[in-house]
Amino acid sequence: MTRSAFSPEGVTFGVCLVALGVLGTLANLGKLELLPLLRTWWPLSLVLWGVLELADLFVRRSSSGRS
Amino acid sequence: MSSSPFDPQSPTTPAAQSAPPPLPPGQSNASFVRLPKSPGLAACLSLFPGLGQVYNGRIARAFVFFFSWVGSIYLTTTGHEFPFAFMIPFVYLFNIIDAWKGANAANARFLGGRTEAEEQPEIESPVWGGTLVVLGLLILLNNLGWLDIDRLARWWPVLLIAIGGYFVYNSLEARKGSGGSGE
Repeated sequence: MTRSAFSPEGVTFGVCLVALGVLGTLANLGKLELLPLLRTWWPLSLVLWGVLELADLFVRRSSSGRS
Repeated sequence: MSSSPFDPQSPTTPAAQSAPPPLPPGQSNASFVRLPKSPGLAACLSLFPGLGQVYNGRIARAFVFFFSWVGSIYLTTTGHEFPFAFMIPFVYLFNIIDAWKGANAANARFLGGRTEAEEQPEIESPVWGGTLVVLGLLILLNNLGWLDIDRLARWWPVLLIAIGGYFVYNSLEARKGSGGSGE
C-alpha cells in the first residue's frame, strides 16, 4: 500500500504560514498584539497536525479496507 | 603534440593502464545511476539542525527538529535542566541520523524500492498523531492557565514506562506477524 499524496505536515505547515501572515498583517495594522497571541496559541498547530495525521491514517485504513 | 605524463589520455599513466576500455561511441554506461540525494551531504547539512531535512524535502520535519533543539536549549537555560539538558544532544544526534536515513529512503524510493509506509511503520500507527494532539493540548492548557505542567513534571518517568511498553508491544506484534517462528 502506498501512502496517499495528502501530506498532513505539509498542510499544517501551509496553514501555519497563512495564519502567521494574516496575524502579522493585522499586527502591522495595529489590530492586535502578535507575540502574546502566538505565545499562547502556538500549540494549536501541534493539535492541528495531530488531528490531520489521525484523519489521514483513518482515511487510508478505510480506503485499503474497501479495496 | 607530445603526450604529457599528467595527460589522462596518455597510455603511460597508471590511471590509463588500470582504467576500463572506453565504450564504443553511442553507448553509455547504463549501470551508473545518479541518485537524487546524498546521505553524506544531508548529514553534514544537519550539523545545523533541520537543514538536512530541508535538503531531503521534509520541511515540516525540519521545523520540528529545529524548534525541538532551540526549545530544549531555552528550557535548559530557564531552569528546567532536567530532562531538557539531556534532550539537547539527543535531538542533535537524532537529527543527523534522521537526515542520513531520510536521504537513503529518498534514494530507495527513486530506485523503486520500498514505499514510505513500508519504511516507517509508525505512519500506519495512530501513536504519532495522538502524541501530537495530547502534547499540543497539554501545552495549550498550560498557556491558558488551566493546567500547571510544572506540577506534572514529577510524573515524567511515566513517559519511560509508556515508551518501553510501546516497544514491547511492537516486538510482540512483530513476533505474532512472523508466526512466532522463534518459539
